Amino acid sequence: MTQTSRQISNLRPDELVYHASGSAKDEVFDAKGNIHSHWERLLNSFHALGPATFADRLDKARRILRDDGATYNIYSHPKSPSNTWELDLVPSLISSSEWGKVESGLQERAEVFNLLLKDLYGPRELIRQGVIPAEALFGHRGFLRPCHGIKLPGEHQLILHGVDLIRGDDGKMCVLTDRTQSPSGAGYALENRTVMSRVFPSLYRNNQVHRLASFFQQLRSKLTALSPNQDQPRVVVLTPGAHNETYFEHAYLANYLGFHLVQSGDLVVRNGYVWMKTLDGLSRVDVILRRVDDLFCDPVELRSDSQLGVANLLSVVRAGRVAIANPLGSGVLENPVFLKYLPQIAKTLLGRELRLASVNNYWCGDEQDLAYVLDNMASLVIKPTFRGADYKSVNGSLLTQEQQAEWRTLLRQQPQQFVAQPILQAGQLPTYADHQLQPRPSLLRSFAVAHGSSYSIMPGGLTRVGVQETSFEISNQVGSKSKDTWIISSEPLDQSDYSDSPSATVRDADLISLPSRVVENLFWMGRYAERAESSLRLLRTVFMMFNGEEPMSENCQRILLQAVTAVTATQPGFNDMALLRSPEQELLRVVGDNECSGSVCSNLNAMLYCADESKELLSSDTLRVINDIRDALTELDAGLSGGLTSAPEEALDPLVTALMALSGLAHESMTRDFGWRFMNIGRRLERALQTTTIINSLLVEETAEADQNVLLQSLLLSLEALISYRRRYHAAMGVQSCLDLVMMDTSNPRSLLHQLEQLSEHVKMLPRASASHHELSPKQRAVLQAETLIKLSLLNELSAHKDGERQQLKSTLESLKLTLGTISNLISDKYFNHRETSQQLVSNIWGGE
Amino acid sequence: MRYRIKHITEYLYSDRVSHCYNLAHMIPRNTLRQKCLRNDMQVNPVSSHTMAREDYFGNMAYHFEIQRSHKKLVITATSDVETGPQRSSLNLDFGITCAQAREQLAHSRQPELLFAREFLIDSPMVKASDELREYAEPSFEDDRPLLSAVMDLTHRIYKEFTYSPQSTTIATPLEEVLRQRKGVCQDFAHLQIGCLRAMGYPAKYVSGYLETLPPPGQEKLVGADASHAWLSVYSPTEGWFEFDPTNDCFVSEQHIITAWGRDFFDVTPLKGVIFGGGKEPALHVSVDVSRLG
Repeated sequence: MTQTSRQISNLRPDELVYHASGSAKDEVFDAKGNIHSHWERLLNSFHALGPATFADRLDKARRILRDDGATYNIYSHPKSPSNTWELDLVPSLISSSEWGKVESGLQERAEVFNLLLKDLYGPRELIRQGVIPAEALFGHRGFLRPCHGIKLPGEHQLILHGVDLIRGDDGKMCVLTDRTQSPSGAGYALENRTVMSRVFPSLYRNNQVHRLASFFQQLRSKLTALSPNQDQPRVVVLTPGAHNETYFEHAYLANYLGFHLVQSGDLVVRNGYVWMKTLDGLSRVDVILRRVDDLFCDPVELRSDSQLGVANLLSVVRAGRVAIANPLGSGVLENPVFLKYLPQIAKTLLGRELRLASVNNYWCGDEQDLAYVLDNMASLVIKPTFRGADYKSVNGSLLTQEQQAEWRTLLRQQPQQFVAQPILQAGQLPTYADHQLQPRPSLLRSFAVAHGSSYSIMPGGLTRVGVQETSFEISNQVGSKSKDTWIISSEPLDQSDYSDSPSATVRDADLISLPSRVVENLFWMGRYAERAESSLRLLRTVFMMFNGEEPMSENCQRILLQAVTAVTATQPGFNDMALLRSPEQELLRVVGDNECSGSVCSNLNAMLYCADESKELLSSDTLRVINDIRDALTELDAGLSGGLTSAPEEALDPLVTALMALSGLAHESMTRDFGWRFMNIGRRLERALQTTTIINSLLVEETAEADQNVLLQSLLLSLEALISYRRRYHAAMGVQSCLDLVMMDTSNPRSLLHQLEQLSEHVKMLPRASASHHELSPKQRAVLQAETLIKLSLLNELSAHKDGERQQLKSTLESLKLTLGTISNLISDKYFNHRETSQQLVSNIWGGE
Repeated sequence: MRYRIKHITEYLYSDRVSHCYNLAHMIPRNTLRQKCLRNDMQVNPVSSHTMAREDYFGNMAYHFEIQRSHKKLVITATSDVETGPQRSSLNLDFGITCAQAREQLAHSRQPELLFAREFLIDSPMVKASDELREYAEPSFEDDRPLLSAVMDLTHRIYKEFTYSPQSTTIATPLEEVLRQRKGVCQDFAHLQIGCLRAMGYPAKYVSGYLETLPPPGQEKLVGADASHAWLSVYSPTEGWFEFDPTNDCFVSEQHIITAWGRDFFDVTPLKGVIFGGGKEPALHVSVDVSRLG
């Protein structure tokens, strides 16, 4: 293979310059090796920028993506971090003259697919007239018979259409595959654009790039228009959940479009309608933008083992009382067999052939095609006709003789289940790798949304490039990078209309109707954050005390260590005498072992999980702090590796700081809606509980004066009250003044009474059924009871001891703890959604003769 | 013939069901030889929402939703149906031969034939296999009339398989039924459908009821009947024709159709999702088919 390298000019090799590989189609150069003018401008700009600046911008881009929480495939195990979305900073450029042709081709294609969908779930004229073989439809698992006859209002059945485009051998764009269920990538394309416009603001401005915002506005208005209910339609985005590989996009789109993000458990069918479970009860849902595969959407009529669906959803759809985009059953259009017949299908349905060609498809269900495939396996890609089937696509050229023989047998056994396509060489794009611009094969996913009487195409799309110059598979699953796609206008654009910034659209989702699951996650996020924080503070104190100048008595050590066990609830912990003698191992476990329930690490991971589940409600600043916590968590092991002797308290500092930042942000930048309120209730409850436990562990037992001083100091330190104490009392430690400060002093933001007063305020504001009465709700009564308990306590009684312990203090703290537990239960019972497990109702025996 | 069918399905749960969503195929459909004169569905506890509709295959599907907590669910479907015989003039020894039928199915562009091909393809519970084809093959000589060949297969299944209610469940695969040579009507229907499809003839699953007559001199017991299943085969010239391998016959006036589909999966009498309910609900079904006037 000869490598004729083409350069844009004679540049020094250490500069940012692009060398195309002579062997493949390249997007930058034409067939004669001349550079396209729009590319010349861009590459010159990068050259002027220089490698160092480019690398800086890349760091900046990564930071932004990380801060936005842009991930693909969230951590499957809590210890491994999520994968940040990979963006290559060299955009893919398409001239507007070429794009014009592609765009009209894509519109036409979406129109045909729309008509095809209508026909397949309607009269099936294409079968009747013999345009499509019966087996191509009836044998495809994506053809869902229960969806027959379902119609969306308006001309369009297909609302969103995604298409993967590749540069064909004739130099024209051609279609590789269609995505018709819930095409993913549009949100990532938008995020890519947002990042690019921030990292290269002037480059972006000067290149006259077509904007994306109008596409999303059209999506938004189309979805709203599908509503059967014209009065303030409620549109939701249905996601399989935070563990889905593209969850970031679901949350991002929901936020950008101003719709609620829901999971199947948030929805319920009752009396013929779909409802969302909210704090305020059930509220009706009119339109669902689904990101759940159609087979999983209704366990009654579709896959009965699905946990991602809503029981009886389909019958509400059928009655026209909820609209789903794309409609259930649209997955059948992804059957590649239809591509073989697409020219005839277009002629029949549209009256003409399509301008935009598709890749050749050979269907093994056709005898001639099968013979061709069996003879030419090495030059073909073999694909199952149904995605998510038991087989993945294979590149025939990579198969051994033995594997080829196995495939031949399989194709003969199940010919209808496979198609084959020629192996294509994708067009190559300059991509930043190893500090250079290198050629990488590329794919473009384009998006169409129903608009007017036709479709509106996103100007650009999501470009993905192969990992290596010769990569065959290009997908996020194998680590391909993505690129922003710039449609370069030859004339200056009127940019006044739309901005691509996500804040451009108004979020009109009414705040009271948050799904109760989201609220529950915020509540627990508050609790876990606070729980981790109190444990951290106590552990930090313990570390400091152990390494302090003065040696501690054994008794004092025991009490402190047992307080750690009590606060973290890591039983038996230091109640085991053997561990008391050499506490190091157990202390490290209580900090950093994720498998140990109650450890700081496990609490923080639980908090991160709740944050992911309610991501769409968190500000970008909050997401940044969440990332800091995630980072600090991964660095924790290293920080603690020196053991107890090397100031381990310092390793905990970054986490404490990050948690403080989190609560500060929640206080300063979260809207005072119910989500915020529940997060705060969680925090206050947890802080009150933890403080109760710490006081109980450190002060109930009667100790010698010297020990008591150490313990009082530890108490104040871990409750962040030592400085206030010293300022106020200037004196030696006293039990009564300490208890006053940590229990009753409402000017101390960490005192018990302060937590209860705050709780009382929040609880008062929660929605309740009969707001007209003045009678207190059970929650309010419980909070009042706790407040009164403290207010009526007397310091001299609390500090008095008898038989070796402070009995009054002990009983007060214990009943306070019980009441706090009651408050938590009352809130959880009233507002949170308690998911019952569902099961299939089928007879497991045959019904007799 | 006119019949009244009373079909009672009762579920007893070990734990409370808070709410449930169900889909029943219990309302007899109209066909060329049958008319449903009246139907009444009673659900206890009372449904909060119900809906009846025609499904993809033209069967009546009945949806109901119960939002009140219960430990017992009773569905009573009462239907009056008028039935007639299949085409009376049919002589099995004439008509299209097996070879001709296959030829027409493969090449004809007639819409009815194109649509019949849906019933040639593997379905959720019936997959054609070499074993099934080998079993069926002796009945299908190329120049034998198709329907006579199908009747022969029906007869062989009747003769060579033992009716045995304890031997199979809904989950028993066809290969095992074939190996054991035992099963119930649903197994035999699936078996013959699989054989026919493996040979290249479209076949569908029919669910319904059969009037059983008491032995001479004895009175018929109420509730002793049961739901029944058989199959229908497609002949390019005669159309769909029903056979009952459990009773070694072609279908008569005593066969009352509820619904048809590719296999049992499409026409399950009752399926759904329940919330709560505990383990292993007890199911009791009783069917009573009685003649009217």
